[in-house]
Amino acid sequence: MTVVDSRSATQAPEPAPSPEPVAPDPRDPRVRLEALFDEGSLRLLTEEDTSGALAGVGRIEGIPVVAFASDPRVQGGAMGSEGCEHIVHAYDHAVRERLPIIGLWHSGGARLAEGAASLHGVGRIFAAMTKASGVVPQISVVLGAAAGGAAYGPALTDIVILSEGGRIFVTGPDVVRSVTGEDVDMASLGGPEPHSKRSGVVHVVAKDDTEALLKARRLASLLGHQGRMRPEEVEEVDLGGVLPDNPRRAYDVHPIINKLLDDPAEAIELHPKWAPNIVTTLGRFGGRTVGVIANNPMRLGGCLDSTSAEKAARFVRMCDAFGVPLVVIVDVPGYLPGVGQEHDGVVRRGAKLLHAFAEAVVPRVTLVTRKSIGGAYIAMNSRALGATRVFAWPTAEIAVMGAVAAVRVLHRRKLAAVPEEERHALELQLAAEHEKISGGVQRAQDLGVIDEIIEPAKTRRAIAQAIAEATPARGAHGSIPL
Amino acid sequence: MAEVRAEMVANVWKVLVSEGDQVEDGDTLVILESMKMEIPVLAEDSGTISTLKVAEGDVIQEGDLIAVIE
Repeated sequence: MTVVDSRSATQAPEPAPSPEPVAPDPRDPRVRLEALFDEGSLRLLTEEDTSGALAGVGRIEGIPVVAFASDPRVQGGAMGSEGCEHIVHAYDHAVRERLPIIGLWHSGGARLAEGAASLHGVGRIFAAMTKASGVVPQISVVLGAAAGGAAYGPALTDIVILSEGGRIFVTGPDVVRSVTGEDVDMASLGGPEPHSKRSGVVHVVAKDDTEALLKARRLASLLGHQGRMRPEEVEEVDLGGVLPDNPRRAYDVHPIINKLLDDPAEAIELHPKWAPNIVTTLGRFGGRTVGVIANNPMRLGGCLDSTSAEKAARFVRMCDAFGVPLVVIVDVPGYLPGVGQEHDGVVRRGAKLLHAFAEAVVPRVTLVTRKSIGGAYIAMNSRALGATRVFAWPTAEIAVMGAVAAVRVLHRRKLAAVPEEERHALELQLAAEHEKISGGVQRAQDLGVIDEIIEPAKTRRAIAQAIAEATPARGAHGSIPL
Repeated sequence: MAEVRAEMVANVWKVLVSEGDQVEDGDTLVILESMKMEIPVLAEDSGTISTLKVAEGDVIQEGDLIAVIE
């Protein structure tokens, strides 16, 4: 009973089992694995037992994938040494065969009665996950409670999907209340709202279990069956219509990404509500899986800040580990200033994005649509960090800081010397002169930091060609959950 | 009831609604100016503006209340 039921819907109803039909328990791990895989493709790797976990291999859109599921019918899915060995066995199989692996989580954590043995088992899963990191794509789907060890399991994987009824926390509401006195229910502590907006633990929220499994299937297909870039099949679309006439006006970047990708309905945005000032989306472009990273001027003006830099850095490293080329769409006014940001570690956390891009060996193409300023210019896959190719639209501006701010620094004395009522006009005049010598896109091209100025209506083919011509490569590193 | 709060420190550049106005989800309420960008603040719910806490020229901090939609 797979969740893609286009075929099963047309099948004749099964003959009624005799004597009494028993409805399958929807929490049965076998039922869940069957729903995840293509119809009839599940082959079990472990026994159906009371260990609390079941593992198997099956197909998703025809490609083989390994999966395991907690069994919440036994001790709430708690993990004992035997169940943990099942999961480690599934990992061994996935790594040996180089297959994506999906975990369906519904577990209260380590089995209390087993003591250190269950802790040791859970630790062995963590070690297996870490060794598989960057080797095979790992996707987690949280369908019920995932507490303690069962919370850190998904957290170690590449992508975490949370079903509406899923809950993730280290310690539940009772322990929280007894230790800190905070009165909180399970949903507010570890449900979709906190994890999609505040914690960044969850990449994708699904409205129910069916949608959660569908998203896992799509992600397994995007990462496990990436396809080949065919630039000759890429049609030109004008991507520029979205930009407002006023260059200072903020806008939502999503329509540009949607026009760039082959089929936006098939793409999956990761962390859409956490650090929304940067967008990270997996989708197909020219028939091939790509990772798109885009500043979103609608949120925080598109500034980079500590959280968005960290979110993008993890995405870059994941894509690099699996050989997924990157398309970086840049419109960034700078790093977000403020005491909060500095004390929040914007220097340390922003450095992660510099490190991630500079380290990446996958083809990575940059498109500057409007402005790219200061340290954020460098961070957004600049030429200096090793971009495969850097394109800019004719309207683009690259500068160390905005022109008016720059002349206030460069011409502080000259500006102070004029009467206040004339100062503004002088600022604008100096800014225009400054822009001419330092900020224009032509100057950036002369310096070689922009390879080519292209029209918005001729952008898709140019990006596709740049990716197709680059040497395919894959970073030799894990994908630590930054 | 939906509270609309500032995402970042900014100047209030334009106020496009008044208390008592009906707004739809996605309507622009005010336009902030920060980082040399004009950033629209949108209604995330439909309803009536019951409270409007900002005026043009104000400086608002991250987390400050801009409006309440009921």
